[in-house]
Amino acid sequence: MTLSTRNPGAAALALAALLAGTACSAPPQGLARGEAIYDTCSPCHGSMGEGTQRLGAPAIAGLPQWYVETQLRNFEAGYRGAHPMDTVGIRMHSMAQVLRQEGDLESVAEYVASLPRADLEPVLAGDAQAGAAVYAETCVACHGPAAEGMEALGGPPLVGQSDWYLLRQFQKFRMGWRGTNTGDMFGMTMRPNSMLYTDEAVVNAIAYVQTLN
Amino acid sequence: MESLIQQASSYAGSIDGVILLVGWIVGFWFIAVEGIFFWLIWRGRAKPGVKSQYITGKEKHLKRWITWPHALVLVCDVFIVIGAAKVWYDIKLQLPEADSTVRVIGQQWAWVFQHPGMDNELDTADDIFTTDTLHVQNNRTYHYRLESRDVLHDFSVPVFRLKQDAIPGRSITGWFRPTVAGTFDVQCAEICGIGHGVMGGRIVIEEASEHAAWIAQNSTSAQ
Repeated sequence: MTLSTRNPGAAALALAALLAGTACSAPPQGLARGEAIYDTCSPCHGSMGEGTQRLGAPAIAGLPQWYVETQLRNFEAGYRGAHPMDTVGIRMHSMAQVLRQEGDLESVAEYVASLPRADLEPVLAGDAQAGAAVYAETCVACHGPAAEGMEALGGPPLVGQSDWYLLRQFQKFRMGWRGTNTGDMFGMTMRPNSMLYTDEAVVNAIAYVQTLN
Repeated sequence: MESLIQQASSYAGSIDGVILLVGWIVGFWFIAVEGIFFWLIWRGRAKPGVKSQYITGKEKHLKRWITWPHALVLVCDVFIVIGAAKVWYDIKLQLPEADSTVRVIGQQWAWVFQHPGMDNELDTADDIFTTDTLHVQNNRTYHYRLESRDVLHDFSVPVFRLKQDAIPGRSITGWFRPTVAGTFDVQCAEICGIGHGVMGGRIVIEEASEHAAWIAQNSTSAQ
């Protein structure tokens, strides 16, 4: 004899309590939740976060959690990716809106940070020796001597990032597509620096960064 | 329909009229046909001493159960076609002279809008570009030039009863005339990829002075 046949009322109450509990409980957070959410990211960023140049989606595997969280918040708030000409950024501005449940943004950032950094092939040809001088002159202050990034100054690591993406972001800062919103404090720091150099100098600096990988 | 969703364009009422016409006619036939079905089931129920019989439906008195409703439905179709064709002609085949023109650009997964600046001319230096929000003036006729940067989208403004596909490589011209000031939804009504569900925007319908102030404030540079 089962519980329901002996006491159907109690069984119904137990079932209702179970269903109510299921409906109200928040989804689990952390790596497992982040991995599940990452299914939304993988069509553009790749299953292992290696990026897809064709779509303008950068490699994100192994980026520090703080940086991924900051950028997701920037995209969500429209500090980044809201410029009408920034076709690629707009895509990410929209996708950041799907992180609606509390803890989702942190969870997916944690998962992205846990992915092993991708092995990326350079597509630009710059003069690393000339680039070293550019890097030492300006970039090092926020991105660190080994381009490993500096959280305190909001400078992300540049090592482990695709060269084409670094150049494109530099151009976006220069054109004012990025780093012009007062909500993006660190972006606003980068924008004036982006006006100091030509594309050629930047490609050289990026070539130098590639040697630090 | 107004009680379900506000009408905020000059032609929203006409489109609702067609939907209501179709709804009433189809609703009438649905109820009538269901009623007759159930009546026939009740009428043909098992009765003591009555044997069931095979009916081919070829006899005239049986055939009329098909032919009469068929003819009546065709008559109703004529009303629907006339009503719909009139609305189609008024909205899709007519292009009233524009007071202003905007460009609407769909892309994965947002709407980009190009407004004319102080000169009220599109594609000039003082144009205003925005992402997600379209500003228009109330009681003014607008032409829109609808484009797509990537895949199929559909520019849908429910309060206008406006829904038009955006096709890559084409610039599609249409029109609208807002009739109610306020802020309303813009949506994409064509599945366009993983972010389709978040491809929403807003249309801000302003009175003349408010709109002029917005234009003046923004027409010097792109946002």
